[in-house]
Amino acid sequence: MASVPPTPSARAPFRTGAAAAVPIWLAFVPTSFALGLAARAYGLGLGEVLLMSAFVYAGPAQFAALEPLASAKPAAQVILTTLLINLRFAVMSAAIAPYFRGVGRTRRLLAAHVLSASSFVLPFAHFQRQGALPAEGGARADEGRRNLDYYLGIGLTSFVVWVVGSGAGYLAALTVPAAFGEALRFLLPGYFASLLTIELRRGPAMGVAAASFLAALPAAHLWGDWGWLGSAVAIGTAALLAERWIRARS
Amino acid sequence: MDTRTVLTIAGMAAVTYLIRSLPQLVLGDRRIPTGLDRYLRYLAHALIAAVIAVSLFLARGRIETEAAPARAAALAAAIVVAAWSGRPVLGMVAGAAVVAAFAA
Repeated sequence: MASVPPTPSARAPFRTGAAAAVPIWLAFVPTSFALGLAARAYGLGLGEVLLMSAFVYAGPAQFAALEPLASAKPAAQVILTTLLINLRFAVMSAAIAPYFRGVGRTRRLLAAHVLSASSFVLPFAHFQRQGALPAEGGARADEGRRNLDYYLGIGLTSFVVWVVGSGAGYLAALTVPAAFGEALRFLLPGYFASLLTIELRRGPAMGVAAASFLAALPAAHLWGDWGWLGSAVAIGTAALLAERWIRARS
Repeated sequence: MDTRTVLTIAGMAAVTYLIRSLPQLVLGDRRIPTGLDRYLRYLAHALIAAVIAVSLFLARGRIETEAAPARAAALAAAIVVAAWSGRPVLGMVAGAAVVAAFAA
């Protein structure tokens, strides 16, 4: 496998990563701004929004937490929902880990916090294009460190944009007339629906999302907040079992 | 800041960080099995769709029938614009504009 070309200085990979992250920043600005606007509409404080953006740093989970936080739903429900929505990070973290081979555990653990869907896809695709998988045994630990610096150039700068953007959105919402409150509250489901539409235009996952959407209201009506959570988990599980059954028959 | 909200956010932060960092510690260079990968994706999609339904049409355990037509129209607009443009923010803005138009 080809190695990454030598870089002129230790900082170069970080700067290269930061330059590559510009499209992510452009995508993060309106989304984080919308999060700040929506958080304001749900009655959260600026400190709470910034705290969530800085320490949770996960758009869909943050959007999903706004309504339950505003209506003082049980913490266990909010945390479980966050856990389930963010489980995808485990897959991303596991996929990118081999590219940081040779890097100390502390740096890897600190760097893990700025992992997002965007800050995973960009460096992962870059490493694959470059054939940048360091050799086993620590013989090429420098490559692992360069990869981590490149990843941090993307992840750290995108993280800052996200936190600042959500704060700016919140402050901007203070100037929005009350008549637009209903429109602001649509930002959360509107963002999710748009995201799912784009992500799932092809494939069976669109059917999973549609089934979960339709089942959520009756489940919530019958069993309260745990009802829609349970129905979503049941439908996700059923989808996987159905997929396996279809594969076994074909 | 409300203590209860801060503690809930702390819990959200803790579980999210564990999810992000554990594979770095536990798995090392090994990959997550493909089946588990697919299951986690299905779960995330199902959950997000359920959150859309609940946050659009439910308030304090009851369906908000009065606001439902405007929100359903806004949802349709968001989906169409997102599918057409490929940009989630545009879909979101289009839906919010429909809600604002109904409210005006």
